[in-house]
Amino acid sequence: MTTFALNGQNITVDDDPATPLLWVIRDTLGLTGTKFGCGAAQCGACTLHVDNMPQRACVTPLSDVAGRSVTTIEGLSPDGLHPLQRAWIELEVAQCGYCQSGQIMSAAGLLTTTPRPTDAEIDTAMAGNLCRCATYVRIRAAIHRAADLV
Amino acid sequence: MPRLLSRRTFLLTGAALGGTALVAAIGGAGYLATVDVDGRDGFLDGDRAVLNAFVVLHDDGRVVVNVPKTEMGQGIHTGLAIVVAEELDIPFDDRISVVFPTDPHPAYSNWFNALQIRPEEAAGPVVWVGRRVLGQMGFIATGASGSTMGMWHPMRQAGASARHMLLAAAAARLGVPVAELATGDGFVRHAGSGQSLSYGELARAAALLPPPDDPVLKPRAEWRLIGRSQPRVDLPDKVRGAPVFGMDVMLPGMIHAAIRHAPVFGAEVASVANTAQVRAEPGVLDVAVINGRQVAVVAHSWWQAEQAASLLDIAWTQTGDEAANSAGMAARLQAALNNSEPHSHIDDGDAAEALGDAAATLVEAGYDVPFVTHACMEPVNATVIIRDDGTAEAWISTQSPMAVRSGVARGAGWAGVEPSSVTCNVTMNGGAFGRRSDQDVAAEAAFLAARHRGRPVKLIWSREEDIARGLYRSHAACRLRAALGPDGLPVAYDALVAAQSAFQSIGSRNLPFTPGPDGDILSVEGLDKLHYTIPNRRMRSIHVPSHMPIHFWRSNGFSFNTFFTESFIDECAQAAGADPLDYRRALLRDTPRHLAVLDRVADMAGWGSPMAPGRGRGIAIEECYRSVVAQVAEVTVAADGEITVDRVFCAVDVGMAINPDAVVAQMEGGILFGVTSALMSMITLDRGAVVESNFHDFPIQRLANAPAVKVALVDTGLPPCGAGEPGIVPVAAALANAIHAATGRRLRSLPLARTETIGERRTRSVLRDPAA
Repeated sequence: MTTFALNGQNITVDDDPATPLLWVIRDTLGLTGTKFGCGAAQCGACTLHVDNMPQRACVTPLSDVAGRSVTTIEGLSPDGLHPLQRAWIELEVAQCGYCQSGQIMSAAGLLTTTPRPTDAEIDTAMAGNLCRCATYVRIRAAIHRAADLV
Repeated sequence: MPRLLSRRTFLLTGAALGGTALVAAIGGAGYLATVDVDGRDGFLDGDRAVLNAFVVLHDDGRVVVNVPKTEMGQGIHTGLAIVVAEELDIPFDDRISVVFPTDPHPAYSNWFNALQIRPEEAAGPVVWVGRRVLGQMGFIATGASGSTMGMWHPMRQAGASARHMLLAAAAARLGVPVAELATGDGFVRHAGSGQSLSYGELARAAALLPPPDDPVLKPRAEWRLIGRSQPRVDLPDKVRGAPVFGMDVMLPGMIHAAIRHAPVFGAEVASVANTAQVRAEPGVLDVAVINGRQVAVVAHSWWQAEQAASLLDIAWTQTGDEAANSAGMAARLQAALNNSEPHSHIDDGDAAEALGDAAATLVEAGYDVPFVTHACMEPVNATVIIRDDGTAEAWISTQSPMAVRSGVARGAGWAGVEPSSVTCNVTMNGGAFGRRSDQDVAAEAAFLAARHRGRPVKLIWSREEDIARGLYRSHAACRLRAALGPDGLPVAYDALVAAQSAFQSIGSRNLPFTPGPDGDILSVEGLDKLHYTIPNRRMRSIHVPSHMPIHFWRSNGFSFNTFFTESFIDECAQAAGADPLDYRRALLRDTPRHLAVLDRVADMAGWGSPMAPGRGRGIAIEECYRSVVAQVAEVTVAADGEITVDRVFCAVDVGMAINPDAVVAQMEGGILFGVTSALMSMITLDRGAVVESNFHDFPIQRLANAPAVKVALVDTGLPPCGAGEPGIVPVAAALANAIHAATGRRLRSLPLARTETIGERRTRSVLRDPAA
């Protein structure tokens, strides 16, 4: 049995502790906002927060988060109106949307440590998040916009 | 000349030929007359007032718009909902929602893509029969940048028809003539009495009234929504992790499957040495060979299934392609250019004689591109249930519910089960780019569902299966020749392309018969250069078979031919000592629409202004999907060959843009998709199998490498044209031309660069040595 906090609530699951957190959250707990993209920490679609730091859930064993706090896109803000979410809507960032949970969670990690990021800081923080629709122009703009909204 | 039943759509929809619908349809015009192709009649369904096939009203004022087009990022759900809202005369707000209807109603048929005639221009008995036959066949699919062109007019009519029915219901309720009534903000108002009724109040009565024969459309001057950017209906969910993609479907009792395909395409399963061992792994319910070709593991969770699948010890049959590699495949293309008898597509004037004219300047060049794949962010997946009563249902990210229905029936058939019906629920698509129009994963999932009757089976391909065992755009090579006259402009143009036919490959997997490969139009898109004034023109193609499964890939032939031809036009300009912009302007002298787009992008980019050493600017233009798109790329090439794409300017005439910001977004994304393809994308073969397997060796652009993109929409007064694919089309040539301007090096092969990894997550692109 593994216990951790998921979006502020304590959860206990009996999955194999070696199971990647991604599949525990999606298939055992039913929160599907965190996406499977590559299974190898190559694309960032599964990005969530562990103790407020962005992490790739597809290569994080369940055992790693025992006793820790996990936040997914569903728990990023109580009302779904985090400044990043508002900026994303305002600038119409998403196309297919599949990678966008991961993009937003990486950006949220950046804004936590760097409230007014430069372009170079955005480049670094977002380097692990791929978007095949290639919405990058707007992702960059929306991160700057969210920094204004905070 | 309209192409009746264009082969592309025929295949895109995975036609179930021989079906009873077709037999009945061609049985006689009398029967066809009864086919409701417009879906204009209303009815009541529980608490829903269905005003027609596209418009559903609820008592509380909510409006559901049925959009029979896949939302895969292009914003089509928003665009077509805007059209309905405009005619219905309601605000574009959150009372509007969009669903993809599961009912394969003839009104949802994709007949525009097949007939290549806009519904608003369709007339005559051939069209009448064609659209009824296609409607009956459940031709529902999304692709070829055709959704707005095919649906905007029928959905305007549906909105207008619904508004007419609401007005008639209000007139009856209030006892006043319709002429005294007005609509606005979701109400019908009677100015004389000051009374008003909401659409929600009127919906149920309106649904039972007869629809107008020919609903009057709102004049363009009165449009409040069309042509003005509206917020996308899918975005609020997409920033909260809420949309349901195929991957996210969760059903009671669902079990999960992972799969292994043959490394060498075409091989079959010879044996599985350790079935019992894998069957005993945690959570595993089943190890199954699918139709002799794939091996699947079914388990309580996908992770368990995938872990167990990784243990499979599979022996595959020999196909004779075990020695195939990239060098050998490329050599096959070159040999075909030299030896084969090509298929002639165009032979206007006498190109051969003009090319033999000793007085002319001859320009000749060869170009090539590798195989590439889609790598949609959402890996390929399907969820299927086959119930005890024989009905089947699929939940799937797909561009073609028709292909899914066909695939489910086929896959169930492999297990000896014939479903009595197949319902297809089209979910949000996590990217598609042509990939999700094949039956493959639906058939595989259905086979497993047939073995586990009554339980939904969700089959997910790993990323490795997607990239290394998937579907590909063909590699291609071409030889282009031009004879330049005294003014430096071509008097003759001769194009010869060698590629593997996509039609034949797609048909072999999806149709009951395999189409012939010769003259595949997808191989020559972008090769004809008909918008350039050239008196003698020849265009030919050669099909070069291989064991690779070829598929639709965003912009298909344009993705390579426009690279070839627009690079070549620059080479001609260089031979003529002309500026690339001026040269194209001269060639476009008879096509003012193209000239307007070209001039616009040149103006945006400040064409002709000086650039620093090591920097360069390149231009390219194409007509595709009835749109005209021109781009200027600016690059910087460092001494060590590192290339940075600084900016890309894009002018595009997509006709009337219903949701302009969505068109801009398609250009932005398409351009960067094209930059990835031009600089980075290459699928290689070794020992018969694809080498690449995940994003570490099939890289795509990252945010840090993304250039600034500026887009301008040029409106020359045409109705809507295609917008999903044009963005990617000119990019590769614009980049190659910019690299030439910066370095003097002419790169004639894609990808233009090799990708080097810096640290854990950064990459840089370094130009390939053309001599190497």
